Amino acid sequence: MQKFVIVALNSLLAAGLYATMSYGLAVIYGVMRIINLAHAGLMMLAAYATWALNDRFGLDPFLSMIIVAPAFFVLGMALYATLIRWLPRSAAGPSMQSLLLLFGVWLVLQNLAYAIWGGDTQSILTPYTMESVPFLGGRLGVPQILVFVVSILSLVGLNLVLRRTYLGKAIRAVTQNRDAAMLSGVNAGQIAAVAFGIGTAFAAMAGSMLSTLYAFTPDFGRSFLLKAFCIIVLGGMESFTGVALGALVLAFIENFASAYTSIPVSYQDAISFTLLVVVLVAAPGGLPGLWRMLDRRVVAR
Amino acid sequence: MKALEVDGIDVFYRDVQAVWDVSFDVEPGEIVTLVGANGAGKTTALRTIAGLLKPRRGTIRFQGEDVTGMPPFKLVERGLVMVPEARQLWPQMTVRENLELGAYGKEARKQRNETLGVVLQMFPILEKRSHQNAGTLSGGEQQMCAIGRGLMAGPKLLMLDEPSLGLAPMLVRQVFAALKEINARGVTVLLVEQNVNQALALANRGFVLETGHLTLSGQTRALRSDPRVKEKFLGEAAL
Ligand SMILES: Nc1ncnc2c1ncn2[C@@H]1O[C@H](COP(=O)(O)OP(=O)(O)O)[C@@H](O)[C@H]1O
Ligand SMILES: [Mg+2]
Repeated sequence: MQKFVIVALNSLLAAGLYATMSYGLAVIYGVMRIINLAHAGLMMLAAYATWALNDRFGLDPFLSMIIVAPAFFVLGMALYATLIRWLPRSAAGPSMQSLLLLFGVWLVLQNLAYAIWGGDTQSILTPYTMESVPFLGGRLGVPQILVFVVSILSLVGLNLVLRRTYLGKAIRAVTQNRDAAMLSGVNAGQIAAVAFGIGTAFAAMAGSMLSTLYAFTPDFGRSFLLKAFCIIVLGGMESFTGVALGALVLAFIENFASAYTSIPVSYQDAISFTLLVVVLVAAPGGLPGLWRMLDRRVVAR
Repeated sequence: MKALEVDGIDVFYRDVQAVWDVSFDVEPGEIVTLVGANGAGKTTALRTIAGLLKPRRGTIRFQGEDVTGMPPFKLVERGLVMVPEARQLWPQMTVRENLELGAYGKEARKQRNETLGVVLQMFPILEKRSHQNAGTLSGGEQQMCAIGRGLMAGPKLLMLDEPSLGLAPMLVRQVFAALKEINARGVTVLLVEQNVNQALALANRGFVLETGHLTLSGQTRALRSDPRVKEKFLGEAAL
């Protein structure tokens, strides 16, 4: 029972980070109907930026997010203005051009990191990296707790912006019906630039936080991109609660699988990949789709 | 000065032409209707005027200014506002949010609360539904919300794409009465309809679109008694 509670708590802590990392993808997908394959590269770059700020100036990785996130917001807007905006629009879903372009951006970022920092494994060591607090007879890591708190704060912040500000409402409007938004006077190009900036800033926050938990190289981020795919497919791509739910489901499955089965931790990627395939085959609408289907069945009865 | 002048526009979807050399105009203060069967190109023409599509040839002038190819947000700022076909509300936003976001432009935002008062007075049901998600509204309520959202932008010319689509006769009368009231408040109206009989009864002038070509035009009184109109549209409507 006690083990169960600790595993559940660790799942919850992981879910916060997973959600932060997935919202970046979801916001961009919602507004532009493209999948940001460069997401992993941006997380990696943010990890290095956080590391550099820590190495040079002794800046705490969590504090460095105050610099890293806005800087990546600007980087995202710049990427949009120089590259993304030229992509042909497709209402149906991500075009081949968008996938190739963003995959290319990822490769460029990776090689840039190799050129600047080399291929050695880096990690950030802070006074609390190894710390943990006792909880219900088990222990919870201090970095994990901090990551969870910051994740929740960033998600609450994003939600407030999306719900309370004109800009946020315009982002939701473009997501829900782009034509109607344009006909109401929303400059869709401007909103797309802002959304790409927000998505990039969230990739950066996830990257900064990941750098406090894991060692990294320029290849870093791939498995987390896979997890994020799994989460937004589970969550149904467009709803805020859906993505949170998807993050919870994946985190719980991963943690319980490694705690209660003999599946080694190194197989975690296999779990998210299997889940991704199962969801795509069995419930392409994700959890919201499944929910609607069950709902309809109940109503029909 | 004319409110709107459409001069010889050709509109394509890739290589397929949907609108051929269409010209018509709207005088300030008028209600003008563009009628035609399903697939005639009415929506295409309206979306082109609103800036969502670009004509391959021809010009569009709004209040004397050439606005051909201008993006929709700039046209909305100038007072050229379109209420799209099939409502197209934001389903996961409340009725209130839908309306408020209608006043997105700088000028409209300043007038937001007064305009909202006018809209809610015109459609009291929206006040009652104000905290419901727009996706949960009935068809008639959705149409009122869509028209209300269009009004929130502070239009000088309001273009509506088949507002009667899918509505019961009583609701159609209600929506058309609202259009009359909107017009009486000084807003010029361009109404696209398949409901030819009622559209012609409401409007001052009418244009008939057939497979992408304008075939008839004139005062609605004359059009209603025109044998070609009767044969094509009103005979069916009388059934
Ligand atoms: N998105 C589109 N892509 C290709 N063809 C279209 C598209 N929308 C409409 N069309 C075609 O253009 C013609 C006019 O359509 P439309 O403007 O919607 O007519 P209406 O509004 O009068 O019913 C039709 O033949 C239709 O099939
Ligand atoms: Mg139509």
